[in-house]
This record gives sequence, C-alpha cells and structure tokens, in this order.
Amino acid sequence: MITVHANFHSHFKELASTGEASFQIETPTVEALAESICEAYGPKMEAMLIDPDTHELNERGTMFVDAKGMRISMGDQLSDGDTITFLVGIAGG
Amino acid sequence: MSSVPQKELVTGVERYPLDAEVPNVVEKLFSLRNQCTECNVCEVACSLVHSPDGTVNPQYARLKINHAPAKPSKVSPGGLGFVADICHHCGNPPPCAEVCPTDAFYYDPKTKAAVIEQDNCIQCMECVPGCPFDTVFVAPSGELLKCDLCGGDPVCVKACAARPEMLNEGKQYVRLPVLFYAEQADFNKEHKQVPEMGDEVGMMQAMLEAGKISSPA
Amino acid sequence: MESRLLRVDLTTGKMRSEVIPHSVFERWIGGSGINNWIMWEHFLTHDINCDPRGPDNIFVFGVGPLAGTGAGSGIKGRITFKSPCYNMFGDSAGGGKFPYMLRFTAFEYIAITGKSPKPVYLHICNDEVSLVDASHLWGRDTLETHTMLREELGTYPSHAHTLSISQAGENQVGIASVVSDALRIHARCGGGAVMGSKNLKAIAVQGNGGLKIQMPEEMLAWSDDFRQKIDENEAVYGFKRRGTLGAVEMYQHIGSHFWRNNQGNMFRGGEITSDNWVKKYHKYSEVCSSDCFIACDAKYKIDGTESEAAKKYIGETFRRPEYLTTGSAAGALDVRDWSEVAHWGKITNDYGIDNQDLSCAISFLMELKQRDLISDSDVAELFDREQSLRWGNMDDIEFCVESIVFQKNLFGKIFGDGPYLGAIRYSELKGQNFMKYATYGKGGASFTEEMRPFPTWMNNMAVASRGADHLKGIGLIEKFQRKDLSKIYFDGRTEAADLSVPTLKGASTALIENQVALLNSYGVCLFHWMLDPAGYTPQDYYGKAYAAATGIDRTPDELMLDGARICNLEKAFNSRIGMRREHDTVCERWMWEPTDEGMYPGSVAAEMFNPVLDEYYEWRGWDKDSGLQTRKSLEDVGLGDVADVLENEGSLA
Repeated sequence: MITVHANFHSHFKELASTGEASFQIETPTVEALAESICEAYGPKMEAMLIDPDTHELNERGTMFVDAKGMRISMGDQLSDGDTITFLVGIAGG
Repeated sequence: MSSVPQKELVTGVERYPLDAEVPNVVEKLFSLRNQCTECNVCEVACSLVHSPDGTVNPQYARLKINHAPAKPSKVSPGGLGFVADICHHCGNPPPCAEVCPTDAFYYDPKTKAAVIEQDNCIQCMECVPGCPFDTVFVAPSGELLKCDLCGGDPVCVKACAARPEMLNEGKQYVRLPVLFYAEQADFNKEHKQVPEMGDEVGMMQAMLEAGKISSPA
Repeated sequence: MESRLLRVDLTTGKMRSEVIPHSVFERWIGGSGINNWIMWEHFLTHDINCDPRGPDNIFVFGVGPLAGTGAGSGIKGRITFKSPCYNMFGDSAGGGKFPYMLRFTAFEYIAITGKSPKPVYLHICNDEVSLVDASHLWGRDTLETHTMLREELGTYPSHAHTLSISQAGENQVGIASVVSDALRIHARCGGGAVMGSKNLKAIAVQGNGGLKIQMPEEMLAWSDDFRQKIDENEAVYGFKRRGTLGAVEMYQHIGSHFWRNNQGNMFRGGEITSDNWVKKYHKYSEVCSSDCFIACDAKYKIDGTESEAAKKYIGETFRRPEYLTTGSAAGALDVRDWSEVAHWGKITNDYGIDNQDLSCAISFLMELKQRDLISDSDVAELFDREQSLRWGNMDDIEFCVESIVFQKNLFGKIFGDGPYLGAIRYSELKGQNFMKYATYGKGGASFTEEMRPFPTWMNNMAVASRGADHLKGIGLIEKFQRKDLSKIYFDGRTEAADLSVPTLKGASTALIENQVALLNSYGVCLFHWMLDPAGYTPQDYYGKAYAAATGIDRTPDELMLDGARICNLEKAFNSRIGMRREHDTVCERWMWEPTDEGMYPGSVAAEMFNPVLDEYYEWRGWDKDSGLQTRKSLEDVGLGDVADVLENEGSLA
C-alpha cells in the first residue's frame, strides 16, 4: 500500500472540486491511481482521464506529469509519496 | 408567386376546413437567451437544408440570431447576450395563418407545424407583422419564410454549438443545446392560446431552479 | 468551385472583378494558399524589395472555402502582405464575423495595391464596390470606427461588418494590426501599417447573397459527424470554459511562461498564476466566431469588486483574455491582476496593435532599466518627460503603449517596429550593445512564451515563414509529450515526443506545417484540430469536408502535398528577399542563456538548434548550407515555375 498525491488544475480542478487529493493504492501503478481517481470523482473525470477505446490515459487535451515534468502512462510504476499533476494540454494562442 | 423556390421539409400536406379544430404542435423549439453564442450555425444549416441548390445564405433561414436583444431576464438581468429568434409554433391555427388572406398555409401531418404554401402565397406580407414574435422572415427574393420544423427532425437543434454544462448521465451529456426540441411544458395548454413572451423566459427560469438545466456561468 | 477576386488600385481608384477559376483552387486549395499565390504573382511584376509602406506593396484578404459552410470548425479570414516590421513574408489570421459576411457578397478575395490620395474606406455591398471618404473616421480607434461604420451603413442588405485600423495603423506603426468588427484581431506582421500607408482606414462589407456548397448532403452529414466527435471529446468542455487560458496553469507548472522579458518562465503573484478568476468575474454571454461548434469566447463585465485594481475599470466589458493576452501582460510585463490583464487586452484590441511585439518592446526597455543599464535621464530622453518603468505598473505600461500608437516620442519612433529593430536602433543611439536583452526569433518577431526547453517550438521560432511564430508548425507533439501522436506521424517512433533529443523535431515542424497550411487554406480555426490532431486530420478527415464544399476530391497524400506546395511558396517569397539559413535563427537569450527555473532548468536552444534545423531542411528537401530550396524540392510539389524565378535571381540551391 502506498500513498500518492494528485494535484488538479483548471478543468480537472473543477471535475474534482479540489486542487489536491491523496490516494492509498495497493498496486503501485498509475493504473491503480487512475482507477481510484475515477471512483472518487465520477464519469466526467473518467471521460477526461481514460481513453474509452484504448483504456490508456487520454492524451487529447491533457497533460499528466510527474515531479520531473515528464508525462506519465498507464503502465508506469509509482513510489510512496509521488505526486502526479493533472493539467490541461492547450497551447497558447 | 415566389421567384426562388425554397424546399419546405415536410412529411406531407394536411389542410383543415375553416372552422375545424386543428391539433397543436406538441414538440417544438425553445431557445435559451444568454446561452446563445451567435455561432450562426443554425442559420447556415437551416438555409442549406431548405435550399434547392446547395446554397448557404443566412437570409434564407427561418430563424435568426438576435444580435442585441435588450430584453432583461432573470438569467440575464442586464438584458445582454444573444438569443435565437425562433418560430414558437403557437396554438393552431397560429396568428400568421389566421391573418393570411389566401389559402397559403397548410399543416405537416406529423408535426402539425403550420407551413407556408409558396405557390399560393401572394407575398402580401400580412403574416410578418401578424406574428407576435416577428419570426416570419422575408427572403431577399421576397419569399416569406417560416419554420417548418424540418418534418420533425429540426436541423437547427442538431447544428447548435452551445454546450452549456449540463446534467451528466454516464459519460454522455444530456444534450440540451440552446435550441432544443422538446415537448411543450406548461404554457400554451389550451389550443389557440398565444404564449406571452415573458412565459418562455419564466419557463427557462423554472427549469433552472428545478435543476433541469444549469446556467452558463 | 469558383470564386471572385476584387482588385483595387487605390492610386487610381479603379477596381475590377476577376474570376478565380477552379484550377486555382485545385492548385492552391483556397484561403491562405490563394492569398499567397495572389501576392506571389503581384511581386513578379512589382519590385519585391519595395518599401512595405509604399504603394507597391499589396494587401490581400481571403476567406477559404470551408468557412461559413456549417462545417462548424470555426472561420478565419487571412490577410497577406509584405511585412513592414519584419521585411519579409507577412500574414495573419482573424476570425469573427467579417470573413463570414464577405462570403455573402460577390467576393471572397480582395487584393489592394497603390495608395489613395485621401483616407478612404472600401465598401463592398453584394457586387457593388466603392471607395468612400473616411475623413470622419481618421483618428479614431477600431472600436469607434466599427461602431460608426455599422451605424452609417444601416441594415440593408445586411448589417455591416468591418476590418479597420486604429491610429497605430494610420501612423504606420510597424506592429500595427488589423481588427475585424472590433471583435477579433489580425495581429501579426503589421498589416495595419500596410493599410495605413495606403490611406485605407477600413473595409466594410454587406451582403445577402449565398455561397454554394457542391455536395450539400455530404456537407450536412460531415457536419453532423464532426459535431458528434466534438461532443464526445471531454477536453472540448474545458476549452469552452477557458479558451486558451487553460495554458496558464499548465505553463506555470512546467515553466513555460515568459516572465519579465523571459528572465524567468513562471508568473509571480498569487491569482495571476491561476485561471480561477473565470468563476469570480461576471460573465454575461458566451461568444463565438461564426460557424464554430465550440464557442470558446465569453464576454465579461468588471463590477469593481473583483480586486483593488478592478475599481479603475468598473463597467468595462472585455472578452476573456486568451493565453497570449495573458502572456504578454502577466508574462512579459509582470502584470499581476486579472482585471489589468483584461484592460490590456481591451486597449491592444481597440488600438489594433500586436500584443506580442508591443509587450516585448516595453519589457526590453524595462529590463534595461531594472539592470541599471540605462538611467532615469536616458528614459526621460526617450519619453520626453520623466517616466517610470515599473514592472507590472499599468500606468507606466499604458503610457508606453500610447507612445507607440500615437508616435508621441523617441520611444514610440524607435520601438514601433518591435523589440528587435528597437534594440538595434537604441543600441546605435547609445553606442552600446543591448542586443542580448532583446527577445525575438526569425525576422525579429517576438513571442511571449518560454522556448528554451522545447526544441520543436524553438525550431518554429527560427523557420516560420512569417517570422517567429508558434502556429504554423505548432509543436503539439513535443510540448505535451504526445507519444501517441509521435507514433502516428512517424511510423511507431516516439522521439518526436521526447524533449531531451533533437530527433524528429525538425521533422515534426515540417509535417505539421503542411497540415496547418491546409487548415489555413480551408479557412477554418486551428483549435478544433488541436483538440484531437489524430482524430480530425486536415488531410483526411477535413479533406472530406473540403470535397463536399468544393467538389475537389483529394486523397490524404495529395492534400499533404498541396500543403507542402503552399509552404514552399511562402518560403520562396522569403528566398527572393534574400533570406538564407543565417536568418533562420533566434535571439541570444534563447540560444545561449540557460533557463534557471521551471521543470526543465538549464535548457538552451544551442544544444539542439542546428541538428533540428538540419533535419527540418532535410524533410523539406532544401539545401542545408544555404537553407534554400532545390529545384527537385520545388518540382516535387509542382512548383517548377517557382524554381525558374528563384534560379534567375540566384535564390535556388
């Protein structure tokens, strides 16, 4: 069991109604974290988080990064205390 | 006689004798003030489906985006924001048909929408001021244009771009765009009653308060 | 598919209508593509080295064939001209309603040359055209001009829609823009100065004609399908509520802003680092350009309770600031209050001036002052009075803006063409070298985003045909580390999404430039595509809508070639002007000064710049040493005639 932290920004913050939350997950993977997040915040969050066809993390209009600013994928391993940040992936204009 | 024959989209032609009771339109259009974004797609689509030759021209649409509706409402107390001026499909026979001096209106058997018979229309334009909502339009060709509900599958509703945050059921949003096509709620209960303009806004407000739709903010 | 071009010679006042035949659409698609071709042809019989503020420059406006068809992918008109501030190819897109209305007149393309002896506006009313005295409009900003024209032209045959310039354009300020309907701005490259130099205050259009769709059933079906796809894309909802403001928190997190002239890459100051203000401010309407299924804009009104600064702007209405409005204010100039950002947005739109070059010109000077490289008396010399240059101070900033718009003083004169020429002139004036504090890319164009960690973005800044630009070859794959897109674009390879290697970055620019060229030629907005680049491809998915509208049926490969042809013509224009590899470059700060904050500290362009540029040329088939096109690269895209012109002038590799 590990604890990971999630930071939510912009549209994600609205969907979660909070800017940050912590999750205890059995399997130390991004997939487990994603499942917990979907359970906690419902179908709208799931629609934003998960691609319905591939069941990978949805990359359209999103940016999910670890502490080093690298995008995470469903199969990535997580460690206790890791923070993942959920951002909107829109370029300036 | 119209010079540019627009296509009416109807499922058939039904006429009623002069004193007969005409059934009302059941499913009609509604437009929400302040959620209209003036994208113009409804006008574009409406003109295209009614065009005999694939022409887009918003001046041939049977609805218009009202650019400066200084009409205060509870949703928009400042009276600002756009609204689509749509045919309200008043209780039958509607005022536009009632003032018509010739036999230029008939009804779509499926929707009961009153439709202008262009071949019989003499373009006297009585229906234009006759409509309490100013939604009988005069085309550049002189033809009178009135919403025919597209035979029951209105293209403007499908074209509407507004995506207000709505009730979510599962992953799919319950689509209630700016123009929506729904059963009449609680106004126009009795046939031939013309809805007051205020009623529609009140109805929108009631739905807002009941949580059936949400505000755009 | 056929269209009409209105040719206007302002010197003689003569105007004529020309048919643009189907064959031109087959070669150039429409919109951008056709604009480019009109300008190219013009400069075969006029001196391409002419003064962009002179009568020989051309000003083209065009709207592409998907615009206003119910496709729902937004609408963009395009202006194309030789840029007075960058002295190279110039173009700029703008949405709103003006291009929509133009489609209902007899014309879809307008080409203006010469210079009117007196200020005029061009009035197009269905197929009637006239040049009307504009002395009552001269000296007014774009909002006033639009309001007056709208009133005086009435509602028949329709409301009037306008394209206008403000006093900045009238004063031929190099970075002056063209504003459509006081709603949208064609900001980049100085189109406003070109109009102003021609004494052309505005273009007003009214029409009740129609536009023809070749295959209406297919168009309606495509439109239905596109709307479904947009509906199913959850990211659209976020985009609707924020527009490109969604970039603020993302950029803050990774360090992609442009703070205080790019001395840093994160905003400072609490509220400004978040887009939460969208809940606090009073929104009274959502707004949309014509023919768009998304509607990403909204109108707000300041009531004064939002913050201390807001009290100065009570009652002001503004459209939701986009990212670059924010990047130029909160970034370059360190403005820390959202109502001040909104105010900045309003004044730059009303004054019709590019917020990128404008903010970077001001921030350049502010940095010099901050570092004590110039004294108070130096500043007083520039402004003809005592003037403070405080970061984030709207009074100081506004005076700088007015100095440029109204050419009030030395600052206005020196910096009216943007920070690059401003820095050169100021360095000369003071006998010192201030160039390392100027931020710019190709052509001297600036851009208020952090570039250094992003090799594809940096490459765009160095190669874009209209000067440093993020849109033409936008680095979506890289900044958002889209391995999924990299695999699709590059046969399963992922390097295009890897920030740490130069591989597939130049390639990414080249491929995406072709796609963006298509969208710009269709006449639609880029943002729909950006929300799902794999799902709504310009060459395949949109290609079907293009076929429905025009009857021109192309395979995806053919359309990518069409896109490449359009890009190659833009490149050829710049080659004729003398641009070579050495012009495909960026400023010192981006090239040599490493980032010291954000998620990717220690990044500089120099590391990967040349390999990425080499790869870009390779993918284009151009010569790496000179940067020039080869005959083969041009013939491969059906531009043998262009190769002939370039060869004659020694601009072919």
